[in-house]
Amino acid sequence: MRRASYVAPLLLIAVGVLFLARNLYPDLPLLDYTAKYWPVVLIAWGGLRVLEILVWAATSKPLPHSGVSGGEWVLIVFLCLFGMSLHTVRGVSNWWSEVFPFGGIEMLGERYDYPLAGEHAASAAPHIVIEDFRGDAHISGGDGSTVKVTGHKTVRSLDQAQADRVSDETPLEIAGDANNVTVNLHQEKAGGPLRISATLEISVPKGASVEVHGRNGDLAVNDITGSVSITSNNAGVQLKNIGGEAHLDLRRSDLIHMEAVRGAVDIKGRGSDIELDEMGGAVTVNGAYRGMIQLHHLAKPLRFTGPQTELNLEGVPGDIRMTLGDFTATGVAGPTRLSGRSRDVQIADFTGPLDVTVERGDLTLSTDKLPLSRIQAHSRSGDIRLSLPETAQFALNASTHNGDVANEFGAPLKTEKDRHRSSLRGSVGSGPAIEIETDRGQILLQKSGGQKNGPPKSEPPKNVLPKTGATPPLQKLEQ
Amino acid sequence: LLKAIRGPLLMVTLGILFMLDYSGGISFARTWPVLLIVFGLLKLGEYLGARNA
Repeated sequence: MRRASYVAPLLLIAVGVLFLARNLYPDLPLLDYTAKYWPVVLIAWGGLRVLEILVWAATSKPLPHSGVSGGEWVLIVFLCLFGMSLHTVRGVSNWWSEVFPFGGIEMLGERYDYPLAGEHAASAAPHIVIEDFRGDAHISGGDGSTVKVTGHKTVRSLDQAQADRVSDETPLEIAGDANNVTVNLHQEKAGGPLRISATLEISVPKGASVEVHGRNGDLAVNDITGSVSITSNNAGVQLKNIGGEAHLDLRRSDLIHMEAVRGAVDIKGRGSDIELDEMGGAVTVNGAYRGMIQLHHLAKPLRFTGPQTELNLEGVPGDIRMTLGDFTATGVAGPTRLSGRSRDVQIADFTGPLDVTVERGDLTLSTDKLPLSRIQAHSRSGDIRLSLPETAQFALNASTHNGDVANEFGAPLKTEKDRHRSSLRGSVGSGPAIEIETDRGQILLQKSGGQKNGPPKSEPPKNVLPKTGATPPLQKLEQ
Repeated sequence: LLKAIRGPLLMVTLGILFMLDYSGGISFARTWPVLLIVFGLLKLGEYLGARNA
């Protein structure tokens, strides 16, 4: 008879934990993790089974005829097929090479460096294309009228002769006419397991537009008045002082940093962090970014579409910081529309209409700007706290299906309580509609003290929200 | 014993090869013969073990 194994129950527990994590933290990119780490299941499964058999052998228990049964092999084949297809579909990043800066064949052999240098005459505003690039490049605009490339390429090889041969096969070529310059290192010609990477400094005329098609590596572009277009499988991108538009299409990226880009910005792909500062044009972000997203001073509208977050607004005079679990904004110009699955939201100093919907999370909204516009805030599960100037005028309709309401605006607003449900309704002066609704959580309507032309106050109001930073927990509301 | 752990060891090897592939190091298309080698080595160990026994 076949001995019962511990492996199956352990795998079952692991699957259970995964699904539980998915339910508790819907923003966890579990599908990406699965696509990346599914071979770990094979390793763990096999490793546990080996251990188990070794323990049985050491304790002189009878060993099974074979360590993996026919049925299990079928399961393994299905697992491999499933994992491989998921990996292909998701096109996920390799965490491994981030942990260890080497991988596979690159561990073998030695580094051979070859210097690179080249120059090409160009017009005042040329279009520069860098083809099929692997490595790091820094492109900067200057006063000259040439495209000048310096740097080195690195070949990993077992011997010098092979490295030399590969280096000869992959020359630096700068071609084209004065208006269209193409830089090509022919790195794709290095066949077999050999990898060639290059580090380039490229200086271009100030008026240049730059187009890079990269495989992997970091790209920095600064001080040009033309546009920038980058496509890459894996890149970190830094742009600074760009006069034209910027289009990025990156299958994955660890950091996208842009500073002072005057044209429209369009970012597509998946990756980790995004930092945008002083953007002059409209910004469109479409993709899965799991790290910290920081936006400062966007003059034009922002359209952000992620797998679980949608954000549209007309401008960001202040800052926005976004992670998977939090959204903090100070100074946004509406109409602002934010919808997300599970995150705590804090928005301060907003102007224009505001519409926030999250499935799970606390909402903290505050403004001291008058007049108010329409405000809508919905959370399926979470507290909602709204701070308005003392002199604000509005028509409120706030309700919680399971929780309490607290009101600092006094008599014009009526509190009703029916078993678990509470509501706060009424008008303060005549103003725009404010709708607040949560299925489970408290609602708190506060006075903020920011209105400068309001009546003088004898003492500062209580519970004023800090403008930035962490919010103190909502005070306990007694029935 | 070798016969019993042959399957699990092959599974571990398979997993490691896929991990190597995803790490961008070296593709599975090139490393798959490692599976044959591991299988062969285990078989060899089995025969040697049986002869010595």
